[in-house]
Amino acid sequence: MIYKVFLTIWMAVVIIAAFLYAEAAVGFPGETSRILFFHVPQAWIATLSFLISMIASAIYLAKRRVKADYVARSAAELGFLFCVLATVTGSIFARATWGSFWNWDPRQTSIVMLLMIYGAYFALRSAVPDPERKRVFAGVYSILAFATVPFLVFVVPRITASLHPEDTMNPARPGLDPKTLMVFLGSLLAYTGLFVWMLRLRIRILTVEGLKEPKFMNRKPDAGQ
Amino acid sequence: MFAVTTLIAVSFSIGSFRIEEAERPFLYSVLLWIILTFSALSGLARSFIKEEEAGTIDVLKLSARPQAVFLGKLLFNLTLLGALELVIVPLFILLMAYQINFPGLFVAMVISGGLGLGAGTTIIAAMIARASARGALFSALSFPLLLPIMIISIKGCERAAVGISTAGWPEVRIAVAYFVIMITMSLLLFPLVWEE
Repeated sequence: MIYKVFLTIWMAVVIIAAFLYAEAAVGFPGETSRILFFHVPQAWIATLSFLISMIASAIYLAKRRVKADYVARSAAELGFLFCVLATVTGSIFARATWGSFWNWDPRQTSIVMLLMIYGAYFALRSAVPDPERKRVFAGVYSILAFATVPFLVFVVPRITASLHPEDTMNPARPGLDPKTLMVFLGSLLAYTGLFVWMLRLRIRILTVEGLKEPKFMNRKPDAGQ
Repeated sequence: MFAVTTLIAVSFSIGSFRIEEAERPFLYSVLLWIILTFSALSGLARSFIKEEEAGTIDVLKLSARPQAVFLGKLLFNLTLLGALELVIVPLFILLMAYQINFPGLFVAMVISGGLGLGAGTTIIAAMIARASARGALFSALSFPLLLPIMIISIKGCERAAVGISTAGWPEVRIAVAYFVIMITMSLLLFPLVWEE
């Protein structure tokens, strides 16, 4: 309970600070650089949940605990949500700075890939009727899809030039305004906190729903607990 | 057959002189890989469905190790893709008057791209054989996995056509790396899918 109250206040502070405390970065039209405080954490959560989903899938395949599959599924669902948010905000930023909503920048290509992988993951889940088989297939697909990520992150951006602001706004580089950095890290923390909360909530819902699942459909004796 | 139909449709509607000289290498390699990928997707989905429909899958499970089954299916798919490329690529070059300056690189790119296509789709074919709405699902699942290899192959073929010299053929090496990674992952994961 305290966690949630604290998170609410924290997020409110971050939102206010993002618009009033931090200054807009030079070199960007108007106030567009403020997207940093929302778009980057969203993209970070989308990637993080993809990673969590993959690890949970691997655990499920090794141990066959249904709980691990709940984690994988919840993380994938939340990852999809944050992925859509990052795509939409990024697209608005692209319109404001580069002049068009969509121009197949390498970053846009990789986020579309991520969206398609998540979409395919849910399509696969809904197309396999047997619950245990569904979990195994989804896990296998999640791991396979993860294997293609290095190609998209490291290979494709080298082939085509990117307009995505890295140098001017990368927090890891020196030269970033300390106020901006502070608000950015605060926002990252807020988003991660929100993600953890949502993830736990979703896992609980899935666990409760799992109790309704008829026992005889599970082949393993420990399934459904 | 699907591949030839698409090729004829593309060739008929575009013709060999419609596209500007400077744009040709890039657009032609895009068209070639779209034809190859989607023909592959329509053909390769069948490899495990056949066993499922004929009811031979249970005997196969009893008599062979999963890795052996996977490698056998992969070899079959690669042979199929090789035959497809053998027909489509020369026909495409002839019909579209595709000028290629580095034939060696072009051939290596087509072969390694084909290997990547086969490696990425075989395990998906094993999964969708057990699912409903197979055809649509196969494309939906395969396409995100195949996108890297498609981008690389298009780039490599364009480079071969234009004749930009690069030491070591980076695109071919990336495609081979993709092939090896996909085979390794599939060999590890296939027994789980097969025994399910």
